[in-house]
Amino acid sequence: MTPDQVLAVVQAAVATVLERAPSTVTRETRFKQDLQADSLALVEIVEIVEEELAPLARPGFHIEDEDLDGLTTVGQAVDYAVERL
Amino acid sequence: MTRVALDLLGGDHAPESVVDGALLVLDQQPDVEVVLVGPVELAERLLAERGATGRCRLVEATQVVEMDEDPARAIRAKRDATVRVAARLVRDGEADAVVSVGSTGAALAAAVFTLGRLRGVSRPPLAAVVPSKSGPLVFLDVGASVDATPELLAQFALAGAAFATVRLGLPAPRVGLLSIGEEPGKGDELRKAAYDALAALPVDFVGNVEGRDVPHGGRADVVVTDGFTGNVLAKGLEGAATMLSEVLVASLAEVPERDALLPLLAAATDHMSPEVLGGAVLLGVKGVVVVGHGASTPQGVASCVRTAVQAVREGLVDRIGGALGDLLDRTRAAAVPAPEEVPT
Repeated sequence: MTPDQVLAVVQAAVATVLERAPSTVTRETRFKQDLQADSLALVEIVEIVEEELAPLARPGFHIEDEDLDGLTTVGQAVDYAVERL
Repeated sequence: MTRVALDLLGGDHAPESVVDGALLVLDQQPDVEVVLVGPVELAERLLAERGATGRCRLVEATQVVEMDEDPARAIRAKRDATVRVAARLVRDGEADAVVSVGSTGAALAAAVFTLGRLRGVSRPPLAAVVPSKSGPLVFLDVGASVDATPELLAQFALAGAAFATVRLGLPAPRVGLLSIGEEPGKGDELRKAAYDALAALPVDFVGNVEGRDVPHGGRADVVVTDGFTGNVLAKGLEGAATMLSEVLVASLAEVPERDALLPLLAAATDHMSPEVLGGAVLLGVKGVVVVGHGASTPQGVASCVRTAVQAVREGLVDRIGGALGDLLDRTRAAAVPAPEEVPT
């Protein structure tokens, strides 16, 4: 998958969880400061992204919990996922 | 037969109080099946000790979310957590409702991750139907989201109005915003901003209401606030009711008519007891989820199960979804600022 395709998956997950228009979510969007995403929302987004990407990823694709705190922007999350697909 | 998945390990007095609560329900409602979700060996032993072997269906789950854990991350990590397995049973059609008197955050996370949310609800609130002098009213959020935004409170207002329509039979429930004064400018920044957000909704918004309007009633059928304030007020009211009851009982100690008066007193105060009220319903998830007090006794657990059974039988989720969808459509048609949403 290309980074843009992964971005679309993350945008859709954010849109679903936080009830926002996908077009308002960019690579620069910050989960906490811009989206006010709390722990529950972040984990829900992660679960959706994992589920969407799993069929297209290497076996065992998983976003590690300990890595979540370092993923502050949508772009960082996209790059993290692309590296592991 | 209504099937309720009951979190065996949730609550301060679990698992014993949970099993005893389940048996209380089964004694009175033979058309209910209780599914105990937890370590099967433990459940079997507790049932056997009570001469109730075989009375409940048992489903294995071995993990529990502790009160000091981050609920969302714990639920993600613990796929075999009792409340998550219970939610999975509902998702898979093996049960009709989830009841837990354990961690509220864990129940919320399990419900959201496993069952999903209804359109227009980014964060499901916990709604309680509380008695007031003027009749029952819907009070939310009583503890699901301690941090709220004006947009979230607007969502709660819509969800609460939909719940009042279904549960209380009110086609146009009056919605009030809990604050520290009736005037629009009263309250903190959240309340002031929320006032404008609620005023723009297609509901009968009556403005600010105060804490006393919850037990007194009469001004609003739905009282909206954030989960922090709602939980503080709910527990304050429960504490006041309990204290009042105990003081009255003590004052009757030397009264000759005591034995005749005590049942009347119990009848008057029982309906305010959390043990009788039956927990709170998590609104806006695609399944019936009822959350009760962590300190629930067997009677409290049983009340929560009964609340869940009622919700299943009245088709609460579908009807809330319909009523909420109607309110969202009217919000959009009125072209006013509304809780942000995307088509699903």
